[in-house]
Amino acid sequence: MTFSAEKPNMIEFRDVHKYYGDYHALRGINATIKAGEFFSLLGPSGCGKTTLLRTIAGFEDISSGVVLIDSKDMANVPANVRPTNMVFQSYAIFPHLTVEENVGFGLRKDPRSKDEKAKAVAEALEMVGLKGYGKRAAHALSGGQRQRVALARALILKPKVLLLDEPLSALDKKMREQMQVELIKLQRQVGITFILVTHDQEEALVMSDRIAVMFEGQIAQLADPETLYRRPASRKVADFIGTMNFAPAAVLSEDASGVEVDAQGFGRMTLSPDQVMGGATSEGNTIGLRPETLTILFDGQNATDREVFGTVEEVVYYGDMTYYDVRLDGAAEPLRLSMRNVPGRPVLDIGAKARLGWSPSAAVLFR
Amino acid sequence: MNRNPTLKIYTIAYLIFLYAPIILLPLFAFNDSKVIAFPLQGFTTNWFAEMWADQQLFVAFRNSLLIAVTSSIFATILGIFAARASTRYKFPGKGGILGLIMLPMVLPEMIFAMALLVVLVAVGVPLSLFTIILGHVLLCTPFAMAILTSAFQSLDRSLEEAAYDLGETPASTFRLIILPLVMPGIISSLLICFTISLDEFIISYFLGGNQTVLSVYIFGQFRFPAKVPAVMALGFILVCVSICLLTIAEYFRRRGIAKTGGKDTGGFL
Repeated sequence: MTFSAEKPNMIEFRDVHKYYGDYHALRGINATIKAGEFFSLLGPSGCGKTTLLRTIAGFEDISSGVVLIDSKDMANVPANVRPTNMVFQSYAIFPHLTVEENVGFGLRKDPRSKDEKAKAVAEALEMVGLKGYGKRAAHALSGGQRQRVALARALILKPKVLLLDEPLSALDKKMREQMQVELIKLQRQVGITFILVTHDQEEALVMSDRIAVMFEGQIAQLADPETLYRRPASRKVADFIGTMNFAPAAVLSEDASGVEVDAQGFGRMTLSPDQVMGGATSEGNTIGLRPETLTILFDGQNATDREVFGTVEEVVYYGDMTYYDVRLDGAAEPLRLSMRNVPGRPVLDIGAKARLGWSPSAAVLFR
Repeated sequence: MNRNPTLKIYTIAYLIFLYAPIILLPLFAFNDSKVIAFPLQGFTTNWFAEMWADQQLFVAFRNSLLIAVTSSIFATILGIFAARASTRYKFPGKGGILGLIMLPMVLPEMIFAMALLVVLVAVGVPLSLFTIILGHVLLCTPFAMAILTSAFQSLDRSLEEAAYDLGETPASTFRLIILPLVMPGIISSLLICFTISLDEFIISYFLGGNQTVLSVYIFGQFRFPAKVPAVMALGFILVCVSICLLTIAEYFRRRGIAKTGGKDTGGFL
């Protein structure tokens, strides 16, 4: 998943701002997307992720700043000559054309012969798993098939960058998971830079080499999925990517080797500098722990690191998993933790006493 | 369910009042008598022959056809511009401007027929078929715009962006994507405008000068009782033609909606 640094830059944003009247939609975007990367723009609706994607395509003019594609300034380069193609949220399949005509639409000005173009269309259809669908009417296709046609239509032009605007949001859960895997494979196969806009954090984690998390027109954190999950830059990012437990903490001492804190319910611990987040933004001192880093210890099990005690306040059974809310002795808020269900192991009842195992190395401190 | 029969009776009475007179047209068009009265006298097609031989009627019909074709084309072109502007662009005073374009739909025709007459005479434009066309374009444009706005609205904006993204210019995008998708709306608009123009009386009467069109000619014929059966025959033909045109228009409107995958929100029929 990690990305080698030698790859050239495909897209660069330099202090990009966008205003709609008084509304400040993009507030100083600085980011670099590498060639061949699967990059995601992730954030809640209204955070500016689609606007940013459309500035790459050329559908939105920027108010100030620079957008470079393959080291070329895109100011005054209209959308129809940019080396990018887009898969739209609604797929935008031309309803009056056949599948073949849709896929071959961008080849209209291509100087190749008719036979060569037909061959290219057939190859593109085969690539997205729609071999033999060429003669069908586009408006009679299912959602998943439209999605594939839209992909083939964009990829046939061999763009430097493929832009995907929430392409999976209209599909049902099963279809979506299948298309996620297919998109990853397709991206590896063609080697084109993919930029995906999504509000689904799971989708972004599954698919991307790197993710930019956006809030209110700004990039809150740009990192690979593992860093984003394990070391979120702020409480807001931590809350948006999965679930995180927070506990207020007091800083006792700090030096170059780390910070010693006393967290409510957890006690004293020393955290290394890479576990300390958000030095600039004052969020109060809080430690964060992901639900799966806390384990209920059953009879006979010993903690690998530390142990704390609490009371079960809520139990949610999910089949393969059980989610517990446990309030530690001396803590104000309950913690959420997730346990894989193992045959023969009981599910605890509400009100039961629980012994939890955890490790300070899994914690982060937000300051 | 205890339904009140009054509403049912009212509905039936209403429909009889609306359509019974039209059913009388074919009855008397084929009735072998100069008098429009029951009992019917027997079957004849003489009135159609008489109508066919009427030279003045022929001229009036040709004038009407010319006016209807020309004004429906102009009104539809203007309707395309207005519908495009109303669905795609934002500009100051948009609501007011679109409202003013739509106003002739509800404004008494008499008002702008009189206003136009006064202005045309004052400016010194001679009254002719051209001035009737002018009036009919004004009258038909709101209808064209209403039909075309619904056609343009059901068009997903990202279709245009997709074509542009795939290398087309705004002009070729219009030709390759927008035009084919709104074509059913355009045909439907042409047919509706044609029907409105063909039926129209007040403007044709006020602005026609010494040129006669079909509606004005028919009204004139009622002064001569002997001519009435032939007018009935003509009326019958017009009813048939109108039904055909409206059916075709509605067919294209519905096909257009089905083609773009939209939801039918009701049209004129």
